[in-house]
This record gives sequence, structure tokens and C-alpha cells, in this order.
Amino acid sequence: MAEAADYDLAIVGGGPAGQAAAEQAASAGLTVIMIDEQARMGGQILRQPPVPFRVTNWLPGGIYRRLKRQLAQTEARRDVTWRGRTSVAGLFPEEDGFTLLIAGTAGGGGRVRARRVLIAAGCYDLPVALPGWTLPGAMSAGGVQAFVKSQRVVPGDRFVFAGTHPLQLLVAAQVAAAGGTVAAVLFAQAQAAMIARLLRAPLIAVRNAPALLGAASAYLALRRAGVPIRFGRTVRRIEGETVVTGVAPAPVVDMICGPADGATIACDRVALCFAFVPQADLPRAAGAAMRAGAHGGWATQADAWMRSTVPGLYVAGETTGVAGAEIALLEGRLAGLAIAVDAGRVAAGAVSGDVRGIRRRLARLGRFAALLDDIASPAGLIDQLPDAETILCRCEDVRFGAVAAALDAAAAPRGVSGIKLITRAGMGLCQGRTCEHAVRRLSAARGGQVSAAGFTPRFPVRPVAIGDLIR
Amino acid sequence: MRIEHDVARGAAFEILVNGTPCRAYAGETVAAAMLAGGLAGARRDTAGRPRGPFCNMGTCCECMVTIGDGDNRRRMRGCLIDAAPGMMVTDG
Repeated sequence: MAEAADYDLAIVGGGPAGQAAAEQAASAGLTVIMIDEQARMGGQILRQPPVPFRVTNWLPGGIYRRLKRQLAQTEARRDVTWRGRTSVAGLFPEEDGFTLLIAGTAGGGGRVRARRVLIAAGCYDLPVALPGWTLPGAMSAGGVQAFVKSQRVVPGDRFVFAGTHPLQLLVAAQVAAAGGTVAAVLFAQAQAAMIARLLRAPLIAVRNAPALLGAASAYLALRRAGVPIRFGRTVRRIEGETVVTGVAPAPVVDMICGPADGATIACDRVALCFAFVPQADLPRAAGAAMRAGAHGGWATQADAWMRSTVPGLYVAGETTGVAGAEIALLEGRLAGLAIAVDAGRVAAGAVSGDVRGIRRRLARLGRFAALLDDIASPAGLIDQLPDAETILCRCEDVRFGAVAAALDAAAAPRGVSGIKLITRAGMGLCQGRTCEHAVRRLSAARGGQVSAAGFTPRFPVRPVAIGDLIR
Repeated sequence: MRIEHDVARGAAFEILVNGTPCRAYAGETVAAAMLAGGLAGARRDTAGRPRGPFCNMGTCCECMVTIGDGDNRRRMRGCLIDAAPGMMVTDG
């Protein structure tokens, strides 16, 4: 790096992992900048209301208590530079650090140089293509939840939730409590199968009772409010002309989806909740070793100190695999300690007790995360949902049928980057975050060479104006 | 629908969405103000059909709108941009 670094550490992502790491690193005397697209620190789990709002009793649940304490501690630090409303468009490893090209979400560009970088960029809802899902009013459940948590807006009148992940119970209960109507919550899996999987690991379930009780109390609140919660059903088709007007549900048996059964549920919003995938653009762009996530997407490989395979690049939280906010917090603390040790500010021996404790708790929480992942898995189901006309690549309007035809052509390319060139799937503003997982599975199902690589990562990973970058 | 019972907002103002007034409050994102006003659409796809906010966290880019007018027009993700008094928003 020709010029001196601006910061000892740049953290991408202001969620629990980034907060915990910032606190450790700053306490060890490192200069820290934290960059996030949101206006305020918190991450998706604690998407804070706008500063001008006064919200009483915000996110009261016990599951948020520890996270809110960490947020308050990190926000209060004067030695952590907060750079909100800022996208990191590119991450470039250099001889002695990194350059991050940044862009304001409302415009303006710049660069930050840092000796070390921590990617704690979280995860996003797995976008599951099904007929009608591009209609306005069809959203991810996480998106709906963020409107409620942060903007204090129920983004519609009458909601249908559909998916496989228990989080949809919590979001549906939050929507109902805020005054929205929940027409139905549909789980594709059978209730008995979910319970059976829990009972196979009773000790793990009992030790993580608070997390399960959150879902259970949301379930009970919805039942008390008269909300139908159906198992073994999903949305076969989202209906409407210019906005969602209803859904056509269908039975699901052993994750095999049957035809729509003729009933229609009227609604103006659909919230889809199948799984979550790590935000992976920046580690991939920097050349870090990745592993394919269970439900698509890419988790960044990390060693026992949260180091990626790129020297100086650390990863924590959902970036390393979707496992929840408690794990993210602990991984962030571990990464912060590792960065302080690697920077020579703290002796490894001085933190060994802390590190042992963190790793012990991570192991315990990891077993629960794996159990939840198993219970919530949409594997096998989601690839049955699109038909030939369903848009897979939302940015470029590439349909399922076009991707399948390209894969089936005599001169079909090896690998999904070839499919991207032929069909334009993955070439749009979202850089393949929406469709890559589906294209990879489609290709894999046809014996394509997809397991090793996805779309080749491209700069910029977030939409920026060229003028902002060259200025 | 805005949640009212536990929120104190600042003064209301208007933004213009495709020329039509839409109420907003300081700190609200363009996407939130539009949804609270019953507008679920944001950008248009290649066939001119409406698309609306999907992820609400800057990842999907489906909430792209054009903000400003004349030479100051700029496409932005509506879920990341605060509404401002008189802001001109179009669904392009």
C-alpha cells in the first residue's frame, strides 16, 4: 500500500458481529471505521427506527436484550468511526492492507484504506422464485419485518406468509400485533415432522429454550388472534395484475408440491420465508475461499480465529454461515480479539481464557443453529415452484425456461458464468444475489460443472454511479 | 399503514410520486412512505411492468426509483433513501 492506512481496521457491517469486533479492537487501541448501508448501527436484527422517531418500548422481547446492550455499548464509543448510508462497492487486497471503494447510498464516492478488514455483512432472505413473485406486494419476510421494526410501517393490509422457516411466525406475530391482518401462515413441511426433528435432539432443544419459546409464543399469539397456521401447504402461485391480489395455495407432502387446489386466499401482500443466505460479494471479490451454503449462497471459510484465507481479511457472523445473532455476536468478539492479537496490541496468552469461553459457547449454540437449519430446510421443495414462465433473474427478466433451454442446448456451456453470458441471468444490478443459487441448482441437476464456482464476482457489488467512483 | 400507538414522528410533509403527493415523515425511507401511502410499485421491468420493494435491505435493487428532476435525476434504492420535503420520485 503506497499511502498510509486511514484505519487499522475497517469493519463492513454494523450488526452484532461488527459491533462486538469494533469494541474489542478499539479497546486494544486500534483505529476502527465501521461502514454500513443503513443510517444507524444495529444490523438487520436491530434495525433501528430513524433518529427523528421516538419509539416507546422498541423490540421488548428477551431475545433482543443482550443484543441491545452490545449495540448501546458500541454506539457510545467515540473511538469507533461510524460511516452509515455507505455502500462498499469493492474490496481490493494490497501489499500491506486493503482499499475499499465506497459510495454513499444517495451519491458521492471515496476510498478508505485499512490495514485489516472484517466482513460482518450478515445475510439476506433466500429469494425463492415462484409464479407471480415479481408482482409488487410480494416481499421477503425479512423485508416486511424491517419495515415494522425500523420504519414502524406495516407495509400492506392483508398478508399471507409462506415458507419453511419458523422466523415467519415471529414476523407474522409482529405484523398482527402492529395492526396488520395475517390471512394465513403456510409451512410447507408437516408439523409432526418439525416436532419429531426437535424431539430427536431434546437436550439441544431444552438448552436453547428461549429461542424456541419465542417461536412458540408467536405461534400461540397468532392462534389466539384467529390466524390460520397451516402445515403441509405452500403458495403455488401469486396472483394479481399490477399488484398482489391473492395466492393459490397447494398441498405439500414430503416436500413434494402438488397442484394448486382451487382455493384462493385474498391478500395484498405475500411474505416469503424459506431460508437465509450469507452476503458473500466482498469476500468472493477479494478471493477468499468459500464453501457453498446449504441452501444456496456462499459462506466464507474461517479458521479458529475468524481469519479468512486472504491475509488480513477476517469474517464473522452470518458471513461465515447463517447461524443467528447470538453466534454472530460471539464470532465478532472472537474476530476482534484475533485482530488485536495479530496487530500486536494484545498477547495471545492474555486472551486465551476469553477465547476458550467464546468457543465453548459457539459450539453449544452451533448445535442449535444446525438443528434449526434442519427443521427449516426448504431443500427439495423450492426448485419445484417456478414454471417455465417464472422470472428467475429479476434484474434482467430472464425466465426459468430460458435458463433451462440454455442448459439443455447441445452447446451448453460448462459452469454458470457461461449461462450468465448466454441468458443475461445474473448480469443485473443485484449481481446475481437473487438468481445465482437457482441457476447453480438447475445446472447441477443437469450434471453441469457448478459445484466449484458460481458467477464470477464482478465490481461493483452494490449499484454506484460511475461518476462517483472516478471523481 | 403507519403504526401510531407507540411512535412519535416529526412533522409530516409531502413527496411527489409520479407527480402525485404522498405523505412522509422525517426519517422515513422513500420505500416506507410509498408503502404507507398504498404504493407497492417502484421501478419498471424491461416490459414496463411494475416492481416493488422485495428485500428492504439494499440487496435486491427492486425498489429502484428515480429521484430528482432535470440534471439532478438519479436512480437510487428507495429503501435506503430518506424522503425529503418536495422530493420528486418517479418509477423509472
